Amino acid sequence: MASLSEEVLLVVKKVRQRKQDGTLYLMAERIAWGPEGKDRFTVSHLYSDIRCQKISPDGKAKVQLQLVLHTGESTTFHFANESTALKDREAAKELLQQLLPKFKKKANKELEEKNRMLQEDPVLFQLYKDLVVSQVISAEEFWANRLGGLNNAEPAPYTNKQEVGISGAFLADIRPQTDGCNGLRYNLTTDIIESIFRTYPAVKQKYSENVPHNLTEKEFWTRFFQSHYFHRDRINTGTQDIFSECAKQDEKGLKSLVNKGVKNPLVDLLSLEDKTLDEGYGIKQALPSTSNSNKTVKESSNAAIIKRFNHHSAMVLAAGARKNEVPADQASETSSTDGNSRDSDFFQPPVKKVKLQEAIEYEDLQRENRQKTVALNLKKSDRYAHGPVPLQSQKYTTSQDIINAVNCIRHEMANYKPNLTQVMSSTAASSAVAALSPGGVLMQGGAQQAINQMVPSDIQGELKHLYVAAGELLRHFWSCFPVNTSFLEEKVIKMKSNLERFQMTKLSPFKEKLQRQYLGTNLTGHLEEMLQTAYSKFHIWQTRRMMRKT
Amino acid sequence: MSCYGFHIFFTKFTLSKCLDAVMVMGNSHLALTRTNKLAVIASHCQDSHFLYPSKSLGGGDGAADDVSSTRDGKYELLAVANSTIAAEIRNVLSKAEVRGNSTDTLLAGSLAKALCCILTNSHLVCLEQVIKAAEDCALQYMNFMNVIFAAQKQNILIDACVLDSDSGLLQQACDITGGLYLKIPQKLALAQYLLWVFLPDSEQRSQLVLPPPAHVDYRAACFCHRNLIEIGYVCSVCLSIFCNFSPICTTCETAFKIQLPQMVKPKKKKLKMPA
Repeated sequence: MASLSEEVLLVVKKVRQRKQDGTLYLMAERIAWGPEGKDRFTVSHLYSDIRCQKISPDGKAKVQLQLVLHTGESTTFHFANESTALKDREAAKELLQQLLPKFKKKANKELEEKNRMLQEDPVLFQLYKDLVVSQVISAEEFWANRLGGLNNAEPAPYTNKQEVGISGAFLADIRPQTDGCNGLRYNLTTDIIESIFRTYPAVKQKYSENVPHNLTEKEFWTRFFQSHYFHRDRINTGTQDIFSECAKQDEKGLKSLVNKGVKNPLVDLLSLEDKTLDEGYGIKQALPSTSNSNKTVKESSNAAIIKRFNHHSAMVLAAGARKNEVPADQASETSSTDGNSRDSDFFQPPVKKVKLQEAIEYEDLQRENRQKTVALNLKKSDRYAHGPVPLQSQKYTTSQDIINAVNCIRHEMANYKPNLTQVMSSTAASSAVAALSPGGVLMQGGAQQAINQMVPSDIQGELKHLYVAAGELLRHFWSCFPVNTSFLEEKVIKMKSNLERFQMTKLSPFKEKLQRQYLGTNLTGHLEEMLQTAYSKFHIWQTRRMMRKT
Repeated sequence: MSCYGFHIFFTKFTLSKCLDAVMVMGNSHLALTRTNKLAVIASHCQDSHFLYPSKSLGGGDGAADDVSSTRDGKYELLAVANSTIAAEIRNVLSKAEVRGNSTDTLLAGSLAKALCCILTNSHLVCLEQVIKAAEDCALQYMNFMNVIFAAQKQNILIDACVLDSDSGLLQQACDITGGLYLKIPQKLALAQYLLWVFLPDSEQRSQLVLPPPAHVDYRAACFCHRNLIEIGYVCSVCLSIFCNFSPICTTCETAFKIQLPQMVKPKKKKLKMPA
């Protein structure tokens, strides 16, 4: 039976599954069904395993709900209570609709993250193939260190994508299409709906109030588009529109925005009026008087459109800024719009100061703030001029020797005539040639060709993979020392067995392959040495531990 | 088109044999391609001197007489080169003062002269051939390294043929510029070595099997003892190298804090921060 600590969210009696009567339980993390009279659950599925749910169409006699799992299996529940079958099913469906997305995201997110990591990093992918697929270590160990931040609420830093802002034209993008017979179709995507909600919180409020109690979604949006709120000429005729309130709220919001003004002391919006010099300089008629009674209808509708336009832009910008604000900021924002002079004064001076400073100071004209350096003061600079020749290795020659040598040479060269036909004897020449031929005295160093020219490239690639895999295992092994906790003890023992398994399954076949191909070079010597060091360290640790215990 | 600069450094040996070999090499080089050019520089303790082409080559009559007197149909250029070299070396030796105090030769200077000669004469890749019988001189180190790097920038290869003892500086020169370094076991067969190894130019060398490059010792020498060391201490202010730690750098007199850890790790070059 389920542990009683699980919270049961919904119980539905008289639900049949596979022609058996029973009860359906929806709990915090799973959905379960038990037959009538029995204590156990025969069917139990975690929400994270469920891929989607399906319901039978409304017209059918049988009221059914089907759960499709990720594995492809499906389970069908038949709601058999005569009176409340439909209601039960709807309730179950609603609950599932709310719960499933939460769990779905978690499971998928992990898998997605793993897949993404494997795809982005080919070295990691190769390591995964070498170690996990060939069962040298298990998949959990492999992912143990790498998925550290995944289960936290915040996403890993490199998956932080930028928030997408709201397109200013989102309302215009809903282009109505004619339906053929005097109707208009508006295509609303979830993106557009989200934009509308973010920009106009008033609409969102109306939506949450009315849907799904009073109106369906479809009706709500139909009304939205029909309302004059949406259309340009927003002349409030006082209809029973649910959106007329929104219009009033918008007016209020616009007024408060205007009152707030701009915080930058260097920007004076009020001076941006349409000041004209006189008649003829851009206007046809005389300056209108300040009273509003002379405004024509056209002017007032133009003013209304401009007002709406400004309001829309302001809301779009505010929506972009709003989501980064902490609720405290919103509270302070509202307090300043109340006209509470004390609070608004708090915010004015720092902002003003910053703006003024920005305008006054130029960064590159400031004095440079160089770090303090130590002055160079060389006492014995001739040391640098001396080459890497040891001081005392020169043979000592007396001055007499030198003089003798020079005189000797002079004598010799006094009657020097080049005798180019007898420069050297043939024996000398042939011995020189022998020394220079391959295998000769002077050619010894060249026999060692670079190893990467002697070993075929696929062997090289395999060796690289072996090194990467061995490196990974050895890293885990060596990070266990010093062994302080019992967790580390277990890990050390496990890693040692992993290393042995690696050697057996990967390294030895590779060695045999090399031998078969007659490659004389010892390519695996270093790897074996590393593994041997690890084994001996483990052995030492083990003997010490046993001595401590006894 | 390539141009050879020969350097011959000598203190003691059978100079005439050496010169003969050099001349053979020079002649072969000139004979390979019509556009090849040759310059020979001799370097001794006071001076480095162009043996060929010589400044006194201007005179026509003397040279013409020499040429016509050979009477063996030799290519004129070769004949002139040989006689000039011979005459000049006699000249140099007779004029050289005898000073009994140094056995150093002006290697860097002659290399520099050769470089200038190459750069003024030809535009393309060139080779320099150094035949060395003397010891490395420590005092010319800076100049020498400057010349090497200049040659490297100009894509001039420096080859070295060493007769007596290995020269670390020349090994470095050959490694840096991409030339060949060879220490010859038999001096008598110098001509053979020269012709076999050093005559082909750089493109042809890639097709031939030549002696492999020697392992170059790039170790630095510590400033205190001039021992070649692999691991040492470097002052972070003046970059002078020491083999032992000392709390004050003797070159720039900066004081350092000593932070002796529990386990001294010897296998690291430590850069200490000044106090």
